[in-house]
Amino acid sequence: MRRLTNSLAILLLAIACLGQSGSPLASEHVRRIGNQLMCLCGCGSTLTSCNMLHCHFADPARARIAEMLAAGKTDTEIIDSFVQQHGKRILLQPPKEGFYLVGWIMPFVGLALGLLVVWKVVQYFRRRPAVATRLAEDAVLRKYRERIDSDLETME
Amino acid sequence: MENVGSLALILGLCLAAYSVVASVAGAVRKKPFLIKSGERAAYAVWFLVTVASALLVYALVAGDFRLAYVAGHSNRAMPAFLKFAAWWGGQEGSLLFWSFILASYSAVVVFTNRRKHRRIMPYVTAVLMTTQAFFLLLNTIVAPPFQVLAVGQGVTSVPDGRGLNPLLQYWAMIIHPPMLYLGYVGFVVPFAFAIGSLITREPGDAWIHTTRRWSLVTWLFQGAGILLGAAWAYAVLGWGGYWGWDPVENASLLPWLTGTAFLHSVMMQEKKGMMKVWNMVLISATFFLCIFGTFLTRSGVVSSVHAFAQSPIGKYFVTFLALGIAATVYLILDRLDYLKTEARLESVISRESSFMFNNLILLGSCFAVLWGTLFPVLSEAVTGEKISVGAPFFNRINIPIGLFLLFLTGVGPLFAWRRTSWESLKRNFAWPIAAAVVPVAALLLGGVRNAYALMSFGLCMFVAWTIAAEFFKGSRAISAKSGRNLLASMVELTHRNTRRYGGYIVHMGIVFMFIGFTGAAFNRDTTAEVNIGDTIRLGHYELRVADLQQGENDNYVWHRAVIEASKAGEPLGVLQPERRLYKASEQGTSEVSIRRRLNEDLYLNYAGMSDDNKRAVVQAYVFPLVGWIWIGSITLFLGTLVCLVPNKVRLEYPRTEIVGVAGPYAAVDK
Repeated sequence: MRRLTNSLAILLLAIACLGQSGSPLASEHVRRIGNQLMCLCGCGSTLTSCNMLHCHFADPARARIAEMLAAGKTDTEIIDSFVQQHGKRILLQPPKEGFYLVGWIMPFVGLALGLLVVWKVVQYFRRRPAVATRLAEDAVLRKYRERIDSDLETME
Repeated sequence: MENVGSLALILGLCLAAYSVVASVAGAVRKKPFLIKSGERAAYAVWFLVTVASALLVYALVAGDFRLAYVAGHSNRAMPAFLKFAAWWGGQEGSLLFWSFILASYSAVVVFTNRRKHRRIMPYVTAVLMTTQAFFLLLNTIVAPPFQVLAVGQGVTSVPDGRGLNPLLQYWAMIIHPPMLYLGYVGFVVPFAFAIGSLITREPGDAWIHTTRRWSLVTWLFQGAGILLGAAWAYAVLGWGGYWGWDPVENASLLPWLTGTAFLHSVMMQEKKGMMKVWNMVLISATFFLCIFGTFLTRSGVVSSVHAFAQSPIGKYFVTFLALGIAATVYLILDRLDYLKTEARLESVISRESSFMFNNLILLGSCFAVLWGTLFPVLSEAVTGEKISVGAPFFNRINIPIGLFLLFLTGVGPLFAWRRTSWESLKRNFAWPIAAAVVPVAALLLGGVRNAYALMSFGLCMFVAWTIAAEFFKGSRAISAKSGRNLLASMVELTHRNTRRYGGYIVHMGIVFMFIGFTGAAFNRDTTAEVNIGDTIRLGHYELRVADLQQGENDNYVWHRAVIEASKAGEPLGVLQPERRLYKASEQGTSEVSIRRRLNEDLYLNYAGMSDDNKRAVVQAYVFPLVGWIWIGSITLFLGTLVCLVPNKVRLEYPRTEIVGVAGPYAAVDK
């Protein structure tokens, strides 16, 4: 009997948990805005793609987006209000202003510097002095050399 | 049992430290018995770590809930293979798993080289055992796997454990971590040989020849680990993404990128005696990025869905990295004369320079990913405010870099070694360019306006054509000579130079993967609240909800939607997306239902129930061409295996050898 009660309790809990609010996600507009904001529950996903059950952050945030849309707010106003409340970390990417510009520029600066280095290396290798070279003695060459030597030895 | 396990780890640590000292002392003082003793200590370390690992696995499978690790990562309801996989499901166990793989690799390296490379082997053993000692130090001090649950002075146990994270209870997730670890740990072997060769100033490229297969296999494991992770994310996370640019995903990509650069640039050293310093730098960077990746996963320095619990482990990693990098930089700078280039570059338009640009782009991509991953930490240090760097940032920067890399993949085989004439360039480029232009024009006419997608499809065709032409030209020549059919000639051609043609197969895999990545530009999705009998429309698809079911088993409770899919009235079958709630952890997961086809995947996710608990919320996605990513992965895997097959004919590369310097430079060069 006790086992049955436990099972029923778990089933009820599960139904309650599985019955999470998915409604705001049914709106294309909510999904679009949610895709521009980070879920801050630690999942690393956007508000739209956070898949945590009963996420303490994504669920109320999606509901809030839906409410703000219903109240006639624009996308920018909604995003700004989230930034005001949670800081810039809620944005999916660094804003293109101030210090954050460094974040955007550096990869290309790195690539440009790399290009410069490669160019210098190419120039260096091309300017290297002409060296007197001979083919390193590989196995095939060695075989022929030995054959010549032995042939020469057996020659009258 | 826990005492035996802990003792084995402590003894392992002591023996690893002894092995380092004995190997180096033996090499410096030329005492063979010390060197031998150091090698035997490496075998003993393997034995001890294996004993500790076996004890932990036994505790997990038998359900010894006195152990904190077992109670935290296993439970009675989990199937046996998941209990086994719990070995690497948590911080302590996965660090032990790291140690076990490293100890196994070390034992194999020491055994297979017991009669070879006697000058460098003591240093190889020392590098391997230094890394081993570091991880065993973590196993014994920071993250001991054999801690028991205690109340006051007594040992206690819990009736059942918390179980493995439900998201990890998926086949790809069971294989994904071991594959990644085999990759992460494996790069220590070529690194150890490189350092050994550097210390002893071993002439020639012995370290490269010896570790070529190690590097390739390790690279393969790393790649397979990354791709299995992508397959897992696609099938489990419920939103159809396969790569989220999560810091820990990025950490696994970084050594793979430098490893790829290394596999290309070693060819320059083998064939031309060039880029010796660069190869040392690359293999060292790859090894330290592997350690860095492990550090990112475990330290909590960046927040990630993959990260283990925050712990003081970070400072140990930082110390190890700082000391290791400093020692390596010193060694390379001190032995620059030993790493002198033997040849000169004759032309900018040559295979050599294409390799250099390939390296630049791979490293550029690596830097961009590393920069984006660490920028939140940097921004917090500078501005005081932590920001997020998500997928849009990485995509914006890496898409052009990736496309340029794809371009180089096609261009490389068209350039000859040493120099390429304009005439041959025109001749070689004409058909591949035509092959690229035709589909781009067709797509433009078909209304596709996404510039990146057009470029990507064009480049994919360009590269595919160059690869196909390489196979065709070679096999036609063999066919004309031997009279065999073209297919048999192609097999013969590949067998004659497995490395080259296996490499082309790998490149073909990359092309397939780019086709799959490009499909993401045309993704479509919708979300709907539905009841039995309702229909969702997405593109050409009609999805009718036939039933909504629920039930439970020992491990979890489930809700399922039974959905009949059809296209223009033609039935396509039934898809059954499911939502699970695991009882032990009270965590939910999505079991998405996917109809996989080459042109597109239909992907359904059961997101939950509506507010009134009467309707199911179903997310439907169409992912065009995504299947090509997995086809590309398999092709890449097969191509790498081909590279590992020995050539039918042993190829000798005649290398130029410096015998003197002519003219006015002679004095300078001396």
